[in-house]
Amino acid sequence: MITHFFKLNACFILSVFIMLGCGGPPEDNPLLKEAINHFHEAENDSTIVMNAPVALKEAEEALQESERLWEEKADKELVDHHAYIAKQKVAIARETAELNAAQDEVERAESQRQQVLIGARKAEAIAAEKRAEEALSQAEKERREAEKARKRAEELAERVNKLEAERTERGLVLTLGDVLFDFDKATLKSGGERAVEKLAQFMEEYPNRNVMIEGFTDTVGPANYNEKLSRQRANSVRQALLNKGISSSRIQIRGYGEKYPVASNNTEAGRQQNRRVEVIISDSEGDIDERAKAN
Amino acid sequence: MILFNRMLESKIIVVLYLGIGLALTSCASTKPPLQELAQTEAVINQADQVGAEEYAPLEIRQARKKLQRARELEAEEKYDEAKRIAVRAEVDAELAEAKALSEKAQNAVHQLRESIRILKEEIERKQ
Repeated sequence: MITHFFKLNACFILSVFIMLGCGGPPEDNPLLKEAINHFHEAENDSTIVMNAPVALKEAEEALQESERLWEEKADKELVDHHAYIAKQKVAIARETAELNAAQDEVERAESQRQQVLIGARKAEAIAAEKRAEEALSQAEKERREAEKARKRAEELAERVNKLEAERTERGLVLTLGDVLFDFDKATLKSGGERAVEKLAQFMEEYPNRNVMIEGFTDTVGPANYNEKLSRQRANSVRQALLNKGISSSRIQIRGYGEKYPVASNNTEAGRQQNRRVEVIISDSEGDIDERAKAN
Repeated sequence: MILFNRMLESKIIVVLYLGIGLALTSCASTKPPLQELAQTEAVINQADQVGAEEYAPLEIRQARKKLQRARELEAEEKYDEAKRIAVRAEVDAELAEAKALSEKAQNAVHQLRESIRILKEEIERKQ
């Protein structure tokens, strides 16, 4: 009975030995090797370590289980099973790390998009401000120009006053009386020279304005002689203007002689008024109506 | 009586050893792995919901195939193997889910970058 027991016992011990496998190193397991390689790669990847520690830990546990079973020469299917799980867990860790990285990237990109939008709005605001400034400066420019035009108009009025010109239907008319000429002569006296100088200044400042110089006489003396004299007097004024540098194209002259009296030729006072030179200043377009047309 | 007792004793010892041996060799489950099968199915469904079929077709199909095999083994009452295959199917499904989520996030990154590029271009055109 005792031997029988021993026999049984030895048999059992043998079976345990076979199970544990004490004969030599275990056979290579390619799946386990692959899993170990994948795991080491993942373990050295800082993004995986940081972003997927749980999956990595699970992979490690499965790997250790697989290794333990392999060292104990357990059933290949069991070793493979845990190696497979380890391998898949590593892959999961990798995907999880990529997911986290992508989510971080989305956040960053979103804030970048916001920055771009803010930048765009800023650029738009700057552009709007620029447009507003331009509009303002345009308005300012127009205001200044209007002011300038007003001043020029005032100045013109003042000049005209100084010239003792009159506003008539034909425009501004400056009358140079015969006191500015010697009797029966066409030469300007010094008083006449001064008046012409003012006129020349005026014409320099208002280059758009032309003049027509018209000479008149009283009825004393022959009409054709008077006409000639009136024309010569107008021409003296013209010559004086030319001497001051005014272009001849801006000056027209007419000699009307006894025509167009402004007063009665029956009195000395009236005759004096009729002996005159009128300077008609054009509108800003440079046009002057002929006397005949105006009358 | 003594003889009988000895006989009984040795029988008890044999049964004891056999029991221990059995426990050591296989640990064969007698319970069907219903929990594992249910768990795997749940993970597969979860992966499906995040678009695994589109983004990780290989992995999700492997998971399905393994789950099917596990069910067959369970029906054959090979519970241990069924359980292991179910667990492997579960990690396949988990991977499918992680891959789908990661792919989708990367697509989102790509689209966002593209939209930023277009936005920048538009702004430059305006200026």
